[in-house]
Parts: sequence; structure tokens; C-alpha cells
Amino acid sequence: MINLAKRDIEHTLGKFIVTAMGVGMLLGIVLIMIGVYRGMMVDAEILLDDISADLWIVQEVTLGPFAESSRVYEDMKNIIYVIEGIDKSEAMTFQNIQLPSHDKPVRVVAVGYDIYGSINPINPKRLIAGRELKNDHYEIVVTDKTGFKLDEKIKLGRNLHTVVGITHSTVSNGGDPLVYISLKDAQDLQFSYSNKEIQNNEARGVKNSEAFMVNTIVARVKSGYDIDEVAQDIRKWQHKSVYTKEQQKEILTKNLIEKSAKQIGLFTAILVVVSTIIIALIIYTMTLEKMKEISIMKLMGLPNSLIVSMIVKETLLLGVFAFIFGNIFSHLIYDRFPKRIVLEIPDAWTLFGVVIIASILASFVGVKKVISADPAAAIGG
Amino acid sequence: MSREIAIKVQNLVKNFGKDENLVKVIENASFEIKKGELVALIAPSGAGKTTLLMMIGCVQEPTSGEIWLGEEKVYDNKWTAKDTRKIRREKIGFIFQAHYLIPFLNVLENVTLLPQTNGVSEKAAKQKAMELLEYLEIADKAYSMSSQLSGGQNQRVAIARALANNPEIILADEPTAALDAQRSISVIKMLKKIAIEQNVAIITVTHDERILPFFDRIMKIENRGIVFHKLDEEQNEII
Repeated sequence: MINLAKRDIEHTLGKFIVTAMGVGMLLGIVLIMIGVYRGMMVDAEILLDDISADLWIVQEVTLGPFAESSRVYEDMKNIIYVIEGIDKSEAMTFQNIQLPSHDKPVRVVAVGYDIYGSINPINPKRLIAGRELKNDHYEIVVTDKTGFKLDEKIKLGRNLHTVVGITHSTVSNGGDPLVYISLKDAQDLQFSYSNKEIQNNEARGVKNSEAFMVNTIVARVKSGYDIDEVAQDIRKWQHKSVYTKEQQKEILTKNLIEKSAKQIGLFTAILVVVSTIIIALIIYTMTLEKMKEISIMKLMGLPNSLIVSMIVKETLLLGVFAFIFGNIFSHLIYDRFPKRIVLEIPDAWTLFGVVIIASILASFVGVKKVISADPAAAIGG
Repeated sequence: MSREIAIKVQNLVKNFGKDENLVKVIENASFEIKKGELVALIAPSGAGKTTLLMMIGCVQEPTSGEIWLGEEKVYDNKWTAKDTRKIRREKIGFIFQAHYLIPFLNVLENVTLLPQTNGVSEKAAKQKAMELLEYLEIADKAYSMSSQLSGGQNQRVAIARALANNPEIILADEPTAALDAQRSISVIKMLKKIAIEQNVAIITVTHDERILPFFDRIMKIENRGIVFHKLDEEQNEII
């Protein structure tokens, strides 16, 4: 039997491909939107995974250090270290800063850590050039996305720092590139005031004691100890808020990403609906263009099922081609976005299912038109 | 030997509208057309030619009266759209003012579409189609698209399509309207040949008086009824 849908598409191949490409771009944007959400999830966990701490000890009744600001004394790490069950503990700082660059300032999150400490936030697998920090002062490791090169000098606060290492794909939960500096430099940057301000403060009787503050103490628990129990001990005796790695992930995803995820979800749903409407309109127009032929086919006695199957097949093929173009389009452009886009195969298959359902729904308008076509319209010119 | 009756119409009535809007188009029309006959259907515009054609073609249901296509009474009790489609598919061939070939199918596919829908194998349908195209002297264009053919060539393909399902009846709606005089005569001669050789009853709606001498009978709608006329061949006028 002649495949009417195939023949019709072959006859208007150029128009069909251009239409499929147009709808494909919409579907590509849907995939990108899903990718943005996936990227946010990945970004949220990079730093947590690289630090790989079992416990995050922060200022009491805060959700620090990412969701809320938190300050604890640096020497708290020693107090935590001697608690039973703790294997390692280190102090860390996290602050948003703008690095002066050649064209425009680069917004980054600076991670300050003790370079002689037992917990290193730089994942060696992500270090693509240079080395980790070796000196307590004036060195910096940057993410490749910042655009800085090895040995380049960057002014941080009052001092020049030399780029000694470059990492790849290291970003904060907000998607900003990460840079790594020593804890001392970080404390200087975050808590040291200018000489004039120190003089003013001393004149007012305020002593600058914040230079020994950090944002969090991270700790790893010895094997054989229950992480929740150790966390409970710290909460009880040290008057600090303590979060396990899982809790910290939840804070990041639930508190920081949930709204964005909902927004992206809504955009995605709207785009899918718009794509369905566009496919329906295209199929309706394509059917209208063939109404004379459809009337003739009905007059000749061709069963409705044959004509309906042509319309449904064309709609499905349009959906499938648009899906393929959408995938190609999204893969061509995803790395041009400033933030991470993660395109996952299961998401693409889910979208494929949605496109098939949307195409079937869209074909209804064409099918309705076919069923209502009057064979008498073929007679009488 | 008397020829079989292909179309028998008895007391056919077709009205449109109701009460004060009632329009009577056909009233008590009765006639018979035999297989192998080529009959012209003429009437002024709006007199009901197309309506009559649609009723015979099982496209439009009559208000009352009977239509027999061969041995089968159409629009009998509880006929559905599916039944009318089936009888159109199996017994009737249609030819239109314009060729109305399906533009996305080539000539051969246009001719084989209906037989294949009727369950004829692709091979057998193609063989029959090629025979028809050869019969209509257009076989060399079997794999061309209709957009690549002239008006006359397309009309010949449309005739082949109408013959492809071995119909007992062909209903032609002004098949020469879009053609020049020479091509019109060529098409009508072809229909005459088909009527005789394929033993098909052909009703042709026409306004073209130049082709009237080629018809066996001329059927005219007058005062909502059917009247058969003869042609004064010397004067080429209907008497």
C-alpha cells in the first residue's frame, strides 16, 4: 500500500524540514531549560563533594555557610577535633568577590582553607594546570572560566596574588567560578579593615578581633562512629548548628534551588504547550492545504482511516524530526551558556515521550478537519 | 442482445430547506442508463446537474425515490457513510473539471491508489494501471508528477484513475471545461471508446455544445424533471 504520509512529506520536503527545524529549536530550548536545572543541581554539589566533609559546623541557628552567613572562631576547629569520633577538622571561608580582569570584573566565590590542613577543597582531578597552593600568602588557584592564566597577577584587597593553578568545572552553588586562596589571605580579605578604619575603630574603643573568624568548620568522622550522633554531641555542647553532608545538600537544593527549579519547570511546561500548539497549527494548515485532495479521496471512496493515518503519521514524523533537530540544536549551543547546562539522556527520552503525546494531541485538529471534509466539495469546481 | 442497465432512477426527488425556505431541485425524475452508453447531462447553471450527479454518485441522499446501481439499491435502509464510500470505491469512477490528481503521488501511484485500497495487490494494481495508461497513451509518463504534465495529459491520467477500480459507472463533471476545443474532442472521443470497450455507463455534465454530437443520448433537466433530447446532427442543435 502506498505510504501517503511519506509521499506527501517527500513532495514538500524543504518546507517540512524547515518547519521541523523551527519546532526543533523550541524543543531544543526545552532541553536547555531542563539542562539549566540539572546544571544547578550539579553546581550545588560540586563544592560539597570536593570538600567531602561529613559535618558542617556553623554559627548557631543559621543555615550557613551557603544559605545564610555564618561566623565561628577559627580555633573552634581544635575544639571539634578533640570531640570523640572526629577524625579531621578544618576551618574554611567562603566569600563572593569580584576579580579585576582585562575586560570586565569576574564575579567569583573565594574558598579560603588551611593549606597545611587535613581537608583540601581542591579536587586534584579538577586541577588541569599548575599546582595547588603551597605558600601561606599571595597565591591563588582559579577556575578556567575566569579566563586567568598561570603566573598572572591578580589584585585581591591590598595584595597581588599569583595564579599558581587552574581547575576545570569548579563552581559555587550559584554557578559562579571558584577560586582558592589560603585561609590567612581569605581572613585578611574578609575581616581585615584598612589602616584608617582600624585607627578609627580603636579611637572608638572597638578592638578588631574578627581576623580570626571563619565561616565554617568542616569535619570528617572516624569510621565506626555514627555521624548523626557525633553531630548531636557538637550541637549539645558547643552551641553550634551542625549539618551532615546530606542536610547541607538539602539546604542547597531545597532552599536555594527549589524556586529556580519551579520557575524553570513552569517555563518548560509553557514551552511544551506552545510547541504543541505550534505543531497543531502547522498540521491544521498542512491539512487545509490538502482539503481539495482530501475531498477527492473521500469522494473516490477512500476510507477515513487511510486519510487520518496519513495526518497522524505526518504529525508524528514532524514531532520526531523536531525532536532530533531539537537535540542537535541544544548540543550545538549548550556550552555557550555562561552557567552549566547538563543534558542527560533520560531527560531527552522523557521529552521524546512528551513530544509524541503532544503530536498525537496536535494531530486531532487535522483529523477533525479530515472527518468533516465533504466529498461533495470535489464536485462542481 | 439488450445491454444491462447500469443506472436506474425512479421518482427521484431532491429538496433543500424546509417550509417557506423549501427549494425543490429535482422532482419525480425517472430514467435508465445502460452499460456502454455515453450520456450528456445538460441544464442551465443552478438547475441541479451537480445535485443529480451527487445523488447517483452516492454523495448526497435523495429526499425520496430510488436509485439502483446495477442490481444494488443505494441509500436503502440505514445506509451509513461507510456503505456509500464502499459503493463509490467499488462501482463508480469520478472525473472532474480539473484533473485533481493527488499532487504528491506520481501518475502510477494516483492510478493504483484506489485498487490497492480495495485490496488488490500492489503488483496487480500496477499491472492494471500500466495497461490503462497504455490504453490512454500516457504510459511513458507513469513515473512523472502531475505538475510535469500538460492539462490534456493530466485529464487522461484522471480518466485512467477513474477506470482503475473497474467501475460500472463513470460520473464526469465537465471534464473538458479546462481544455481547448481540440483536446475536448479528443477526451470525449476517448470517453466514448471507453464506454463501448470497457462496457461502462458514463454520465458527463457539460456546457460544451461542441462535444454533444459524440454522446449517445442527451439528458436535460427541465422544470426539475429529466427530459431526453436528440441532436439534429446537421444543425448540431438539440431538438
